[in-house]
This record gives sequence, structure tokens and C-alpha cells, in this order.
Amino acid sequence: MSQAAKTNYILNLYPTTKLLFTLFIALSVFIVPTYWYAYAMLPVCLIIAIAAGQGKEFITLVRNGLLILLVFIFLMQAFFYPGAQILWQAGILKITQEGILYGLNMTSRILAIGSAFILFFRITSVKDFVYSLEKLGLPPKGAYVVLATLQIIPEMKKQTSVIMDAQKTRGVETEGTMMVRAKAFLPTISPLILSSLASTEERAITLESRAFSAPVKKTHLYEIYKTKHDTVVRIGMLVALLILIAGRILL
Amino acid sequence: MNSVIKISNMSYKYPTGKVDVLKNINIEIEKGLLYAVVGPNGGGKTTFCNVLRGFIPHFYRGDLRGEVLVNGKNIVESTLGELSLSVGFVFQNPFIQISGVKETVFEEVAYGLENLGVHPDEIRTRVEAILKLVKIEHLRDKNPFELSGGQRQRVALASIIVMEPDILVIDEPTSQLDPQGTEEVFEIIQIMKEKGKTIILVEHKIELIAEFADRVILLHDGEIVMEGTTQDVLSDEKALSYDVMLPQYAMLGLELKKRGVPLRKIPITEEQAVEEMNWWMAERGVRI
Repeated sequence: MSQAAKTNYILNLYPTTKLLFTLFIALSVFIVPTYWYAYAMLPVCLIIAIAAGQGKEFITLVRNGLLILLVFIFLMQAFFYPGAQILWQAGILKITQEGILYGLNMTSRILAIGSAFILFFRITSVKDFVYSLEKLGLPPKGAYVVLATLQIIPEMKKQTSVIMDAQKTRGVETEGTMMVRAKAFLPTISPLILSSLASTEERAITLESRAFSAPVKKTHLYEIYKTKHDTVVRIGMLVALLILIAGRILL
Repeated sequence: MNSVIKISNMSYKYPTGKVDVLKNINIEIEKGLLYAVVGPNGGGKTTFCNVLRGFIPHFYRGDLRGEVLVNGKNIVESTLGELSLSVGFVFQNPFIQISGVKETVFEEVAYGLENLGVHPDEIRTRVEAILKLVKIEHLRDKNPFELSGGQRQRVALASIIVMEPDILVIDEPTSQLDPQGTEEVFEIIQIMKEKGKTIILVEHKIELIAEFADRVILLHDGEIVMEGTTQDVLSDEKALSYDVMLPQYAMLGLELKKRGVPLRKIPITEEQAVEEMNWWMAERGVRI
């Protein structure tokens, strides 16, 4: 992604601009009362994702993360939302007009907001995002926690396989049926947790050795800047938001 | 005497411990000298380093008595952040000495300078220079998590000396290194010494200490049992009784003296040994 970021003007936008866009979508679906508008946000996000070269990943995430949830919520609303206009009935189960409408409204908004956030994390590297938050006043400790988590998770994964190998040499079965694996869980997870706890102490010393708490203002070797594109996009969103609000009041 | 660290009547007990790990330590560390701290495992060397850097009492609680002055200021009254400006600390385990937020070695080495608020342009030049000095230029774009133990140790060393503290506390920097790497680390330490840094080095490789250190501190069971110039301590048979190996040249010298060979002094380095042997053989009329 870092390579593409140099040329792609969407990826090149400042992280908070991208975040504002996400918030813009999330807000606008509550301003515009029709569900087709909110549903239209999915193709909008998709087009942006494709333009940023992230189309495939975006679709996969929406499908895996949102689809089942939305279908479930829709069915729940359609069947159980109280209403007078009954479209279909079988025993105690009935589908009402109001239920369908409410379900469409609700799922459309969840879909719009969900895809906007998925889009945001597809087109923003966490490093950039944290950097921009730090510029906005996030304390360095908070920034550290976010960034360290990202690096430490793959490290822990590596360590898990080391521990599993170590336990295998001690005769713990780690492969086979569900039951065997379940039994291997405890001998794997406890050393992992304990060693992680033990290493936090040394990690803290490392940070102190690198002057983490030095009483001076930190600088950043890595910098990103707002460009005129950011200004254009921000003004565009502001105008669009005003139009939507005006439309809501006038119509 | 121009002392940068002054410790008087210092004793320390870990929060969970029953006995003192450091007992009645009195020492003055003189500016610009290289001090080697030696002694058997469990003798309190690492604890001693932790005191110098202020991790005791600021990070590990426990019971610290006596007085420790760094640059004239009591460490109890300084914060860890303030001490990070004057004392650099490289500790034993190279696998954990990584910030965990940087993706390349270059950024990793730069991390301390970012925290010190150095201007990015200056950071770049300083990091470049240190990478060259520590001979890790070829690693600059690698992920610090993907390095070997020896490489990490050098990155850790580079990350600290790039911050240019006046005092360097280095705890076993060569434990993960092969002989070649060890020699390179000692070259770096030598360069730091020439730059006028005060260095406190914990190390087991006694031949290298004989070569590079100005003074030796022998810690045994939490006490400083011997302290003096490298020549004095490392040629003294008494050190052996504290489970410290002497350089093989000193052992040779001591053995020769025991057998009645009248050496002028006990050699502790190869160079001295050769010189002494030549002198002795010349005395005996042997021509080389």
C-alpha cells in the first residue's frame, strides 16, 4: 500500500479528510430519510475503493462482515415489528408493511455506515491515521499503544507456534481431533500470556531508554501533509452536507 | 577528581526479596573513563546498572538506601525522562530492546531522537552516521523484528549511542555475538570512549576488558569487593577467590611467578605478556 500511496490521489488524502468523509456518510444517512439514498452509499464507497485499488478487499470485507448481520436484522424487523398492514401470515408469524420499511431503513443505514468505515480502514494506513491523531493532540502513550498492538500481534502469533513446537517436544499432542486440540489449548496459551506479561516490563525499560518520557516535545521523522486536494474534498463535503440539510428542511 | 556519578552507602533490596542485593556500595565514577563491572552471575551487576540509570527506584520499587548522585543530582529526585537525557542504557536481552512501533531499522534507530525532539533533518544525518559506525547500514530497511540476535544487539546499541548521552551503561552487549561481532562492539565502545563518554560496561569476556577498560569494579554477592585500575585488579590473585576468571596472560604470569620467574609485573594483555616474556628471556641470555 505504501508504494501505491505515492501515486494514488485518494490514498494520498490526509487521514482526517478520509475520516471526515466517513463521518459525512454516517451523518448524511440520518439527514436523508429515504433508504435508497443510504443503500446508494455502498456503490459510492465501492467506486472509491476501486479507484483506490482496494475494490476486491472492500467487497470481501463487506460480504464477510456485514451481509449475514444485515439479513438477520432485516428478517427480525420484517417479522416482529408491530404493524397493521399485514402482507403475509402463517400462524403467529406475520410480515407487515411497516416491518419491511423499518427493516430497510435500519439495514440501509447500518450498511452505509459499516461500508464507510470499512472503506476508511482500507484506504488509510494505521500509521498515518495515528500520526494525524497525534498531531491533533492524542497523547504519545495512546499512539504507542495503537501502533505497538499492530506489530505485537504478528509477533505473538510467531511465539505461539514456537510454544506449540516446544510443547510438542515435551509430548503434548497439538494435532488431531477437536478434543486433542482443546486439551493442547491450555499448555499453549498459558506460557504465551505469562511470557507476554513478563516482556512488558522490559518493553517499558526499552521505551524509557529511548527517552520516551523525556520532558520535551517529540518530533517525527515520518511526516504527511495536507494538500490542496484535502481542502477541495473538505469544502465539497461541507457544501454537500449543507445542501442535504437545506433539502431536509425545505422539502 | 571530576566524578559524574557518586554513590555513597547505597544498599538495595528488591520488593519481594528478603536480603539486600546491593550492600553498602561506595564508589565515584570518573568522567571519561571506561569502567568494567565484573563478577559471578547473581552478584548484582545488572541491579547495579539499573540503579545508575534510575530504573531503581523509579521503575522497580524496593528499598533503596544511601545516596546516588548523577551529574550532582540525586536520582531519587530526577525523573526517568530527565535521566534519559544524560544516561544511555543498553541492556542484556536484545530480543526485547525494540520499540515495537517502527517498521525499519532506520526508523528504529531514529526513535530515541524523535522522543528527544531533534529536528528531522538532523535525525537523518545522525542516524546515517551511527548506522555506518555500528556497521549496520545493510540492515537499514529491514524490519527490526526480523533480525538475528546479534543484529538486534547492534541495533540496540546504535539506538542508544545515537542519542549521545554523556554516560553509557552497557549490560553484556556481546552475549549474542560471535568473536567478530564482539570485537566490532568493542571498537564502537572504544570510539565512544575517545569521544569522552563515561562508560560503565558489564562484560564477562575478561581478555577484552583487560584490553579496553580503564578501571574494574568487582561485584560479589552485592558488594564491591575489589575496585581499581584494570592492571591492578586483573593481575591480583585475590580476584580468583571471587569466582572471576583472570586473563590467560595474567594466569601465565602468576604461575611463572609462583615457579620463581622474576617478572617485573603480571601481564594482563597479550602485548604485555609478549613484552614481559621477551624481557625475561633477554635477562636469561636467550636471543630471539
